[in-house]
Amino acid sequence: MGIGSKVRRLALLAGMAACAFGLSAAQAAEKHKIFLSMSYIGNDWQAEAANMVKAMAAHKSLADKVDLQVQVAGPNAQRQIQQINAMVQSGAEAIVVYPISPTALNQVVKNACDKGVKVFAYDAEITEPCAYNVHIDQLEAGRVTAEWLVKKLNGKGNIIAITGVPGTSVDDQRTKAAKEVFAKYPDIKIVGEAVGMWSQAVARTELSKILATRNWDDINGLWMQVGCFTANSMQLEAGKKTSELLPCAGEGSNGGRIQMLPEGTEVEGAAPPYAPAGAQRISYASPPYSGALALKLAVEAIEGKDVPKTTILPLPVVTNETIKLCDEGTWAEMKAGCNAFKPSLVSNPGWFASIFSDQTPEVGLAAALVGQPEE
Amino acid sequence: MSSAAASSPVPGGFGLRRALMRNRGALIAAVVLAILLFVVDWISAGPLTYFDVSFLSSGGATSALAAIGQTIVILSGGFDLSAGAVISLVNAVMASSMDPMAPGASIILWTAVGIGVGMAVGAFNGFFIAVLRMQPIVVTLSTMFILQGVTLLVMDKPGGFVSPDLGTFYLGDAITGWLPMPLVVIGVVLLAWFWLKGTRFGTALYAVGSDPESAAAVGINVVLVRFAVYVIAGGCYGLAGVFISAQTGSGDPLVGNPLLLSMFAAVVVGGTRLGGGQGGPVGSVFGAFILMIVVNILLVLNVSAYYATIAEGTILVLAALAGSISHASVLAVQLRAARARLAAWRAGILPSQLERVDRRLKIAEPAHGQRSPASPRPAFHLRNAETLRYALPAYVCLLLIVVVTQIWLGRAILNPGYWNSLLVLSSFLAVLALGQGTVILTGGLDLSVPWTIGISGIILAGMVNGSDAALVYALPVVLVMACAIGFANGFGIVYLGISPIVMTLATNGILQGCALLYSQGTPAGFSSPMLRWVMTAKLAGLLTPIVLLMVVFVVAAVLLLGRTPFGRRVYGIGNGLRAARLSGIGVERTLILVYMLSAVCAAVVGIMLTGFSGQASLGMGDDYLLPSIAVVVVGGALITGGRGHYLGMLGGVLLLTALQMLLAGTTLPYATRAILYGLVVLGAVMALRERRLQ
Repeated sequence: MGIGSKVRRLALLAGMAACAFGLSAAQAAEKHKIFLSMSYIGNDWQAEAANMVKAMAAHKSLADKVDLQVQVAGPNAQRQIQQINAMVQSGAEAIVVYPISPTALNQVVKNACDKGVKVFAYDAEITEPCAYNVHIDQLEAGRVTAEWLVKKLNGKGNIIAITGVPGTSVDDQRTKAAKEVFAKYPDIKIVGEAVGMWSQAVARTELSKILATRNWDDINGLWMQVGCFTANSMQLEAGKKTSELLPCAGEGSNGGRIQMLPEGTEVEGAAPPYAPAGAQRISYASPPYSGALALKLAVEAIEGKDVPKTTILPLPVVTNETIKLCDEGTWAEMKAGCNAFKPSLVSNPGWFASIFSDQTPEVGLAAALVGQPEE
Repeated sequence: MSSAAASSPVPGGFGLRRALMRNRGALIAAVVLAILLFVVDWISAGPLTYFDVSFLSSGGATSALAAIGQTIVILSGGFDLSAGAVISLVNAVMASSMDPMAPGASIILWTAVGIGVGMAVGAFNGFFIAVLRMQPIVVTLSTMFILQGVTLLVMDKPGGFVSPDLGTFYLGDAITGWLPMPLVVIGVVLLAWFWLKGTRFGTALYAVGSDPESAAAVGINVVLVRFAVYVIAGGCYGLAGVFISAQTGSGDPLVGNPLLLSMFAAVVVGGTRLGGGQGGPVGSVFGAFILMIVVNILLVLNVSAYYATIAEGTILVLAALAGSISHASVLAVQLRAARARLAAWRAGILPSQLERVDRRLKIAEPAHGQRSPASPRPAFHLRNAETLRYALPAYVCLLLIVVVTQIWLGRAILNPGYWNSLLVLSSFLAVLALGQGTVILTGGLDLSVPWTIGISGIILAGMVNGSDAALVYALPVVLVMACAIGFANGFGIVYLGISPIVMTLATNGILQGCALLYSQGTPAGFSSPMLRWVMTAKLAGLLTPIVLLMVVFVVAAVLLLGRTPFGRRVYGIGNGLRAARLSGIGVERTLILVYMLSAVCAAVVGIMLTGFSGQASLGMGDDYLLPSIAVVVVGGALITGGRGHYLGMLGGVLLLTALQMLLAGTTLPYATRAILYGLVVLGAVMALRERRLQ
């Protein structure tokens, strides 16, 4: 490509952008300009959360009020800092952010706050006091799941722990809280511990490594941040019967939820191991709707409503007593208590099923799957 | 054009032109940056103000400072993977040791602490690389793992405190309203570099990078120069760590790690050639800012999230292309060659159009085609002495690890389940090692592995959706797509002259975007029963079918590299591109085939992972990039190409997998495991030391 054509191409691009910009500038007269700064979108949770934010912005209650622009910073905190700066410069009224680091953004966030921009962090936390935070209590997540497991094992047994991404606050808090619980029971022994990186695929390789020198029979329970679906699948592959599956405390993947249903339940699209198995589980999650809720709260804050600086989301917990299959996955249906989705609707078992919140009637299953808001 | 050559006497009158030519890379990077700044200014709402410039300068400063250090290492012919980890370590050390109660912090003291930590790490690297003559990539990779562990010991979660005094100083204005401090800091470092470049040391540095043996021959102390290079580079990373600490006002043990790949891109975009001897840090600074300003361009253009990585990859390629526009660029040479070929074809004088006559030299054949009894065939260990020397250490270490596993955890040597797991878990890297290894043998590097794995798995799972019958067409589709990916990589590298690192890094970003668009963020579908059976079943309760397939694969791989013309061409290219070309090897075609092989291997791993996990997920290839490079080097291959045997790489795969299995079986904290992992890798390659320069 010659220089000439490159320049022409750039000019064309720039011209198109200028047109687009002119348009959005005209609309911005009535609309609130809100940016979403995402981290790395190369994993299921992030993509799902992004879909829900987009659906929220497209919902009829907000569509006329919000001009949402979504940008990705990748895993690099430095770029997110610059991105937030650029957002402030281009006239953001609010910035919804998935913070790559709870501390690295403090200064740029403070700078944004000083210019009157509302900054909302979802799922993870920003420690700068002027930021709004929307997340679950990670300590509670670690504690509740560990207590459930101890109770299932009657305070005695060998367990394996699969943690998250080392060096993050979320992993640190969950793991510490859980270990504090386990430490109270001298007969509970952690015999294997591995870094699961919050990924079903990594959980499988790590469990395979641990089981190379151990038997499933030596293990009595599993405490995982992500990976119960995988662990149950591996036990079934190893020849265990469904009634022998070990109790597993872990994340809220839809595959795990379907396995919790009593064996023999009729479920459309189910095929082992993504099928009802009566697995003993406690299923919790850092819910992917937090971004959508943060956007809704940001609009309220712009409109002058009083929004608390910290919104602690209720920890979504599902056990074998409360598991219930959804038919279509509308918000109204989830409100009535269902919390697992048919494999015919959600074909990816690693997909995160904790998408229901009392506060977000705008988004249901279609929002999380394809970014389509509720009616 | 090395600086040694350029300093030879040239008739006067060409001074300016020569200076321009010598700094072409940096100049073009500067022009590209200026154009991009102009674009941002043109298409954004307001004019570019001092504040924008100030923000941009602080945004790019960390990468720019680190890229300066990386450039110096690359100029000397080295490679430093520990740069990102040093930045994290310095950040963690500063944030955890500053006292929030203290009234003020000494900027000089803390800057010195940061630079000192960086230099100490540099000295560690330098000792192993310069004094013990080990390969830079594997030493710095081990250092990276060790530092990540140490950083987590210093600070296990984000937090801590960095005095705002540092932020005020480093992010403030040198001249209010005119000159932001980050630019001054970068300027000071560059001035120091210019001073250094003018000294004897600077000349020696370029000389060592261009040709270490000649440098040694003219009396340069190569060991000292190399050692000093890593210490200086460490200081630069340390300063980058100080800067990011000042910028963030706190600590995060993971903050520097993602900077690594973009740092290499900045160096290459800035006109420095990997392999040493040509380029300079000024271009890298511009390169770092080009990569940073992309963030602003994407924002102003309102590029949708799923397209972001595609746009970034495209910009990276365009910037690299712009940097190579000249009469002497690969693209121009290729175009001229094509024109010449066309003309020759018209004139009917292409070699293939001429009448074939056997012009080979006649060599007297030995009687009856038999070896003369006077020179018996040498023994196996003598014929393969070189291969054995470099391949054996991995196997010796593997044996040690297995013995330690037996003693520590029990149930290893006599447990068939252990060996089966080892082979199944090794299979992914064993396949990748062939692709990445072949690329490395030619002196390249394939960074597009992660998302080639990802997109292959996602497309396969989506098409197969649990049906064995669908495999019949899904497998060919995925493999053909992989061929296309590899062809694109090879085409960019061979015909457009883009450096392998930049080209494959860009491809990786583009593939990530494609995977997101294809799956809409939620990969659908799952593996078919047969694929699952291959990866997870146990024949006779012991053996997983993939292990049998791996045996076939390994035999095929050894034959491919050792017994085919393709394999010999690969080694030929790695040992000397020009020699290979002159001896009639179709370099272009071979290189493209090499990148296609790598992409196909990555796609096969994507398929295998899908079978292993039962489904595909976004990012499932992310954990395989650095290990795929590590196993190749641990197995005795030379990162600059030309040396290595597949069986050695396989040894590297088995060693690292066995080590991970050992560590996973313990309950050691992650930080300790990372340190142990790094130390074992370092120990394993001690035996791979280069022979002393004569």
